[in-house]
Amino acid sequence: MSAVHKGQRRAPAKRRPAAGAQPPPLEPLRNPGLTREQLLVMHRRLRQNRMLEEKLSALYRQGKIVGGLYSSLGQEAISVGSAYALAPGDLLAPMIRNIGSLLVRGVPPLSLFLQFLARRDAPTGGKDGTLHFDDLGRSIIGPISVLGTLIPVMTGAALAARNRGEDRVALTYIGEGGTSTGDFHEGLNLAAVLNLPLVLVVENNGYAYSTPAHRQFAVASLAARGPAYGVASESVDGTDVLAVYGATRRAAERGRSGGGPTLLECRAFRRRGHAEHDDMWYVPKEIVAAWEKRDPIDRFETFLVDEGHATRKDLRSVEAALADELEEAAQAALASPYPAPEETLKDVYAGNE
Amino acid sequence: MLAKNGRTGARGAEDVRAVAARDTDAVPAPDDAALLKMLYYMKLTRSLEFRIEKRLYRQGKIVGGVYVGRGQEAISVGAAMHIRRGGGETFDDIVSPSHRDMAVFLMQGVPPERILAQYMGRATGLTRGKDGNMHMGDLRHRLVAFISHLGDSIPVAAGCALTFRQHGTDQVSFCFFGEGATSRGDWHEGVNFAAVQRLPVVFVCNNNQYAYSTHVTRQMRVKCVSDRASGYGIPGESTDGNDVFAVYAAVGRAAARARRGEGPSLLEFVTFRMTGHSAHDDAGYVPKAQFEEWERKDPIPRFQEALLRRRLVDGAALREMESRIEAELDEAVAWAEKQPFPDPQECLSDVYHDG
Repeated sequence: MSAVHKGQRRAPAKRRPAAGAQPPPLEPLRNPGLTREQLLVMHRRLRQNRMLEEKLSALYRQGKIVGGLYSSLGQEAISVGSAYALAPGDLLAPMIRNIGSLLVRGVPPLSLFLQFLARRDAPTGGKDGTLHFDDLGRSIIGPISVLGTLIPVMTGAALAARNRGEDRVALTYIGEGGTSTGDFHEGLNLAAVLNLPLVLVVENNGYAYSTPAHRQFAVASLAARGPAYGVASESVDGTDVLAVYGATRRAAERGRSGGGPTLLECRAFRRRGHAEHDDMWYVPKEIVAAWEKRDPIDRFETFLVDEGHATRKDLRSVEAALADELEEAAQAALASPYPAPEETLKDVYAGNE
Repeated sequence: MLAKNGRTGARGAEDVRAVAARDTDAVPAPDDAALLKMLYYMKLTRSLEFRIEKRLYRQGKIVGGVYVGRGQEAISVGAAMHIRRGGGETFDDIVSPSHRDMAVFLMQGVPPERILAQYMGRATGLTRGKDGNMHMGDLRHRLVAFISHLGDSIPVAAGCALTFRQHGTDQVSFCFFGEGATSRGDWHEGVNFAAVQRLPVVFVCNNNQYAYSTHVTRQMRVKCVSDRASGYGIPGESTDGNDVFAVYAAVGRAAARARRGEGPSLLEFVTFRMTGHSAHDDAGYVPKAQFEEWERKDPIPRFQEALLRRRLVDGAALREMESRIEAELDEAVAWAEKQPFPDPQECLSDVYHDG
């Protein structure tokens, strides 16, 4: 090989600047037509979500939590706003940061404490220590730990509902990191081709474990993926619970009226580590600080007070009542037994009662 | 039940639109020698595949399945013209062909007789008798072996491009697949990775409208495969795949972008699979009218007419080219038929890398 035939050497590609996980422009919250009672229910769920996770974090530090703990601090409005926009029979599949969705569906905090403490009376009977359980009575399908894999499952659930003539929308969540998985693609593409009522909520929280979003995809907004599948898409501020509610509502109505799936990007930030053990040293502090100023619960409380739906005093008394309830549930869970060793193989395979 | 989603069913090459061709780089038109080379390889591919599918397979001489690219030759040939070679490891591009890209193998320098020996399961085939069809490659010819699982070659092609970038060369990785493969998770992961890393890959999709028996309207909800490009932040373009001039120009633009370090492109070439999925499949599920419609758009007569109009060839020259090809192939078949089957002792050789 002579030198003249050598290929040109190129300077290494310049690293693009980080897409900047800065919050989207601040827009005032707008009521999409909810009553005062409905607004206060959403507030209660948001606050319950945060306080429950704070309590779980304390238990984790006391060594009482058996498995991993994945916080949704700063993302609560996504879980609560989206789950609240569904009809009771709609199929809901949460992921690990959607404890708020479970609370909206009426899963009692006691069940959640039992689950994280791996007690006998927990939804998985002590076999799993996180949110990996379902509750078909509440139309809840359990998360799958492998990110992305739940999407084709929910496509299938939506197909089953349609084949049975049931009017059910299927909603599930994925992080921005999970959108890079093959299962995301296969599940959303099939839902698009079959025109199924799937609402896919993408929680773009800036980091997939330690991978920042700009190393995950090369588009400015994940809503750009909608047209690539021929489906409707929207991007909303995930710290605005009313915006999330409104967009989910539109998506669910679209699915119900035969308009097919919707890809809904909700932008927020993961203000804690990937899990409780992770100190997220890799996240620049100024980004976290910028998002702390966009706290979804503070924003919603300010809206409730400004619009005259509640006083600060009302909101503090909600907190006090929640604190008592959660403390009572935690104590009850701590006092309850672990599963008996003989039950290890129970419920592992179907029919093995 | 396939719900209505606002599409109008099968589409011809006429209504294909160019989508988001981002730059206006004019690719120099192919010169006379290049045009004749393209015609030769299109015709050679057609004849070689005819012999394999319609003669040798029916004579029971082919060991495995037969997947041909009849009607799609303009895509393989027009694209392969841009695969740089002849300069060694830091110069030559690399290519991952699909099972309907026989021309790519030929143009990368694999002689027809070795392809025939491959199909007949002989010891001198590319896989030395271990595979009986297109699952072959040869890195000396910069050909990554075709992976049977459609879509799996996309992350592999992206990985090749990553090595080019790490070495700082301006080499390009060419990757071929059908529209059915674009529904696969591996396809998504590979294209997304190439987009994020801005890797020098040219993704060449032959949209031949059927993935085995699945029509493209049951494969995707978007009208064009290239519509998917916007979801990755890369340029996408949709072109008439039966027009070799258009293929040549589109791949030339994408290869230039990749070589300049501007990342991957997704090119869709609309064509039609003028045969069954494989030689055993009579394609009874394809409406006859579609075959007839696309027969009229056959890329080889179209290209020949263009060259006749330019007076680059005349009837005598075409006949001369055809008889040269037939003579070459007669010789190749005769050679392949005389090749030995592999020795049973070699069953396990080349199965694992022996360091």
